[in-house]
Amino acid sequence: MRRDWEAFSFHLAIGVIAVLALILLVAPTAIVLIVSFTSGFSLRFPPPGYSLRWYVALWDAWQLHFAAMNSLKVAAWATFLSVVLGTLAGLGISRSSRLSAKLMDGLFMSPLILPALAFGLSSLMFFSALGLPVSPLTLIIGHTVVCVPYVVRNTVAALSQLDPTLLECSASLGAGKVYTFRRITLPLIRPGILAGGFIAFMSSFDNVPVSLFLRDAATDMLPIRMWQDLEGKLDVTIAALSGVLIVFTIALIMVMERFTGLSRRLA
Amino acid sequence: MQTASNETQGTASGGRALVVDAVTHRYGSSTAVENINLDIRAGELVALLGPSGCGKTTLLRIIAGFIRQTEGRIILGDEVVDDLGPNRRRIGIVFQNYALFPHLSIAENVAYGPAAQGIGKAEREAETKRLLELVKLGHLADRLPRQLSGGQQQRVALARALAIKPRILLLDEPFAALDKNLRLDMQIEIKRLQRLSGITTVMVTHDQEEALSMADRVAVLSQGRLEQFAAPTQIYDRPDSLFVNTFVGTANQLSGQVLASDGDMATIRLDAGAELRARSPGGVLASGQRCTVCLRPEHLEMTDDPAGFAAVVEMGLPLGATVVHEVRGADGAGIKVSEPRRAGTALRATGTPVRVRPLSPDLATAYPA
Repeated sequence: MRRDWEAFSFHLAIGVIAVLALILLVAPTAIVLIVSFTSGFSLRFPPPGYSLRWYVALWDAWQLHFAAMNSLKVAAWATFLSVVLGTLAGLGISRSSRLSAKLMDGLFMSPLILPALAFGLSSLMFFSALGLPVSPLTLIIGHTVVCVPYVVRNTVAALSQLDPTLLECSASLGAGKVYTFRRITLPLIRPGILAGGFIAFMSSFDNVPVSLFLRDAATDMLPIRMWQDLEGKLDVTIAALSGVLIVFTIALIMVMERFTGLSRRLA
Repeated sequence: MQTASNETQGTASGGRALVVDAVTHRYGSSTAVENINLDIRAGELVALLGPSGCGKTTLLRIIAGFIRQTEGRIILGDEVVDDLGPNRRRIGIVFQNYALFPHLSIAENVAYGPAAQGIGKAEREAETKRLLELVKLGHLADRLPRQLSGGQQQRVALARALAIKPRILLLDEPFAALDKNLRLDMQIEIKRLQRLSGITTVMVTHDQEEALSMADRVAVLSQGRLEQFAAPTQIYDRPDSLFVNTFVGTANQLSGQVLASDGDMATIRLDAGAELRARSPGGVLASGQRCTVCLRPEHLEMTDDPAGFAAVVEMGLPLGATVVHEVRGADGAGIKVSEPRRAGTALRATGTPVRVRPLSPDLATAYPA
């Protein structure tokens, strides 16, 4: 009887904490989605009535479209470079047990730990010392640096799951190194690389600190544009845009989950 | 069998398929294998048998080309292959965990070797089909490895290894991952395929029954050294060393003293109180020397013969076809005696005095203590 009560109270406490955590995580997203359908002119919750007017307004907000295209382009380039460079780095690091490989691993991971603002400022100074003016190029390079750790980490993790006997087996069947890489290693670590690339893409897409320092005046980035719009006039269009981004992200996550088992890789 | 294998493997000079020539391998300061010599005939199935850490896996990996030995040579047919990487030795390997490529279908797994060697699609598909029929898995060609049972996976691994038309086949603990019932079926199956194809095969195992039942010859290894390389019956009946005698099968170890030594036989006085003749491998015993006599339980009998030594029954264990009695000799040594059991005969009671003797003198073997 006493034991039953202990078990019950334990499960109750855990359950309550879990529900609170869930509310804390999900509620803001839910509130933004609900507010985006407001018929009023403010971000007040709950909305006075419901309409699609802000989604219609979003359709005509060319400044946001322009910024979104910039952010997409930069994120695509940064992801592409991160995947290529990060995969190569991951291969090199995981195949070596030398101290230098461990150091390189730490170096590639450092952008995750270093404050992004400090990195943004220092890379701005670095580029100007090189005589490179801020441009889409510097922006892409900066984003690549902060995105590459995700690909490196996921590639190394995928490689550590790869049974080395498979590579020996491939060799014993007459395959050279390149053939083995193309037909065994790459297909088996591809889900890990894709998962890393996906996170890299998302982190580039909503990166603010690096973009603040490394973009030029003509390259308007979506997160910064959104902030400026909100700051100026508490624009409900931004809530509609947030709604679109949320749906877009959830769809992407579902696609990635289907192809790479993303949630297992992040656990 | 020998003639059949010579037809298919008629490459090697004098029917030799694989020579391990004075191979030594050291990891840092520790020696994994030391001066191993093996001369393996074409078509033979040889088992490398030994406890874990005896160097058998290292030797297999040296033959395969995954490890470069510190000293000695590996000769395949007439060719010294030390400078060839594993992908250029044309050695088929069935790995312990099968190492099937998880993302490729069964047919793609089997066709992998030929594809890597640039063999055309039509030829490769025909060969894959033939091999999958050979291992009776033609109907599963499009499945993925994880959809197959352990025994089926092993047959795929075997077909894949055979697809490269290997000069020799290496099996690394091939039955360790299978449950006991399946193991016997697969042992028969692999032996059948090995005879059918006549391919020279080297198998690594720690399971003595597996080695004795399947192999034409068994190489027993201990602590990196080759203890004996001979036919299974020879290994079992006429072991060369105390290690082989005790590792393969079970053996009672009795201590005694050499009374006289003549060549490879010796007369020994057991501490338990009897004189007996015993084989002395290599004739290394000198008279007066302390020695250990090994006698297998089934090579002993309990009689009334005064030539045997006195003992007292401690316990009887009926094991179906045989009955094992644990008896204690005058010097306190425990001895197991295994005899055929006749239905209806009672066990000998605890405390019964008996006399024990070997069935025949050449079944006792003496080693320096």
